[in-house]
Amino acid sequence: MPKYYIGTAGWSYKDWVPNFYPKNQSTKFDWLQFYSRYFNCVEVNSTYYAYLSPKIVEGWIRKVSDNVDFIFHVKLHQDFTHKRKYDEQNVKAVRYNLDLLAKAERLGGLLIQFPYSFPYDNSATQFIQDLKDIFPNYKNFVEVRHSSWQNKKAFDFFKQANLTFCTIDQPQIEQAISFEPIIINDKAYIRFHGRNIEAWKNSINNFSKKQSYEERSERYKYLYSPGELIEIEQKIKSIQKKVKEVHIITNNHPQGDAVANAFELIHLLEEKDKVEVPNTIVKAYPRLQEISVN
Amino acid sequence: MRTIFHLDLDAFFVSVERILDPSLRGKPVIVGGDPKFGRGVVAACSYEARAYGLHSAMPIRTAYRLCPHGIYIHGSHGEYSRFSRAVKNILLQYAPLVQQASIDEFYMDFTGCRNVYGSLFTFASYLQREIWKKLSLPCSIGIGSNKTIAKIGSDCLKPNGITYILPGMEKEFLAPMPVESIPGVGKVTLKDLHSKGIYKIGDIAELPQDYFAAAYGKYGIDLYRKACGKGGEYLTFIHEQKSISHERTFADVTSKKFLKEKLFKLTGKVCQELRDKNWFTSSVNIKLRYSDFKTLTRSRKIKPTDDDKIIFDAAWNMLMKACTRRVAVRLIGIGLSKFSKFSEQEELFEWEEIKRRKMLRAVTIIRDKYGYESVVFGTAETDKKLQIMVNPFRVNS
Repeated sequence: MPKYYIGTAGWSYKDWVPNFYPKNQSTKFDWLQFYSRYFNCVEVNSTYYAYLSPKIVEGWIRKVSDNVDFIFHVKLHQDFTHKRKYDEQNVKAVRYNLDLLAKAERLGGLLIQFPYSFPYDNSATQFIQDLKDIFPNYKNFVEVRHSSWQNKKAFDFFKQANLTFCTIDQPQIEQAISFEPIIINDKAYIRFHGRNIEAWKNSINNFSKKQSYEERSERYKYLYSPGELIEIEQKIKSIQKKVKEVHIITNNHPQGDAVANAFELIHLLEEKDKVEVPNTIVKAYPRLQEISVN
Repeated sequence: MRTIFHLDLDAFFVSVERILDPSLRGKPVIVGGDPKFGRGVVAACSYEARAYGLHSAMPIRTAYRLCPHGIYIHGSHGEYSRFSRAVKNILLQYAPLVQQASIDEFYMDFTGCRNVYGSLFTFASYLQREIWKKLSLPCSIGIGSNKTIAKIGSDCLKPNGITYILPGMEKEFLAPMPVESIPGVGKVTLKDLHSKGIYKIGDIAELPQDYFAAAYGKYGIDLYRKACGKGGEYLTFIHEQKSISHERTFADVTSKKFLKEKLFKLTGKVCQELRDKNWFTSSVNIKLRYSDFKTLTRSRKIKPTDDDKIIFDAAWNMLMKACTRRVAVRLIGIGLSKFSKFSEQEELFEWEEIKRRKMLRAVTIIRDKYGYESVVFGTAETDKKLQIMVNPFRVNS
């Protein structure tokens, strides 16, 4: 069995109280510290929006100190992947934080996520190759969302560049890439965006509008059903012999659905009969009772 | 001598509902129509509900009268298909051949596998545990030298049972069982057999085969063979199907109304098959043969669908355009191809379509359980009586 790293995309969501983080917390209570008691990895999404101060990163490292296994996957800033305009300064800022995490042995890898509007062609592969050359010393996970990438030439490019091709589960609209694990090297990186088709379509229409947190996250509102999780489990198990590490990130974060599904995936994939889960989540998602240690 | 396993998931729909909502455990749960509206039949019920005399295919109204405290659920068909596929995936890891007979029934051919798996009985219980461990689904397994005996076997110790009918012991095993244990013996046959003084399977086997041939024709011979412990020894299945088609030949026809009715029926059949497989089609083909054997085929691309109405409209349109000669028609056929997998993308459809899709899905469930004829559609032209008629008495007949 490969090593499984299963966690969520981000940990700092106010609507995870009280479904995951308990209500009436003391002032000392820290979300990341609480989170790291239950999971062995997290994807950092704030790095996509801002170049964070190293002080913040050092804080994270301290907070997860109780879990020796814990790693961070860092999402590359949107300047690189969406605006596709970056300079030396930007590169240095990203590298600094990555190196901080790497030195503390807390770095999983660098997630380079491109939007749906980034289809496969030669300039696209060249762009990715350039990024790879800028960040050569990290495990690079590349996520593309357009189905034009699902072709042999594209996979060959990934092989030659030794980049992990992220497997994603997203609403199947138009040319959206489908959930089909492609193994390039000894790692798999799998992200779950939910299957909320209607909201996903709305979000495309409202792309440039200013929206509240609730409006923005609506498209990720989705709880995977037990049957869907079983299908996912079987699909992942079918590739698990080919890889050494499997990283799984649930991004269906509103109200904590991502947390509930992540616990269920730990139960299924790591073949743990019972999983350590907090009481808060069992209360919010009664079906977790079945897999809870308590 | 072959070794066939028949695996039947116990109260499958209910078992899945209990995974979705663990609070349903130990309670009488009924999946099917809505008792408040009094329509529909019981698609599945838990063993707790069976204690009240409920059984599959019973009108939901009757069920409600017998068990008003039961928990009535409409059912989540997409989820049943997912679990059914998951079971099949597990079986495929062990069985050289797997034939899915319905959403909750599988035949497996383990001929010659004794050296690999050791005692078949122990192996069956391992399979049972594996499915329980991985999917929390209970099942019963019958092991026999052919499909019929294996199926009867899986049915005789439910739930969680394993029955191994030793080769050569088939006749003796069946003899004391009531005749309705034979798959395919429904209410009508049962009544008729009783009127002839035949109650046990052994009663059939004792009589000469000719008697059944005379009384029931081909069906009688088949019945006799089953009673003697014989049955199909080979699994049937299709390798990666590229198209689904049905055609009918008639004595030369000129009536458009007649053609429309026939095409409608053929469409119903191909669509049911399509939905059974959880596929969508995006290409409809028709075939038209005139009485002089001149044959035409036409094909049209459509938006991926599994809806009879859309497919029928496209096919009828094409047929009418193609049928320009003033010559009688000898054959018509409809075919579907270019399949994609069904996914629960209801939001993509208009509200009216959602309603139809729900209806079609319900029809698919009922037909899967009780046979194609249990629900039939009607066109405006067909007999009024036929308009979406649920016929619970066709069950097992």
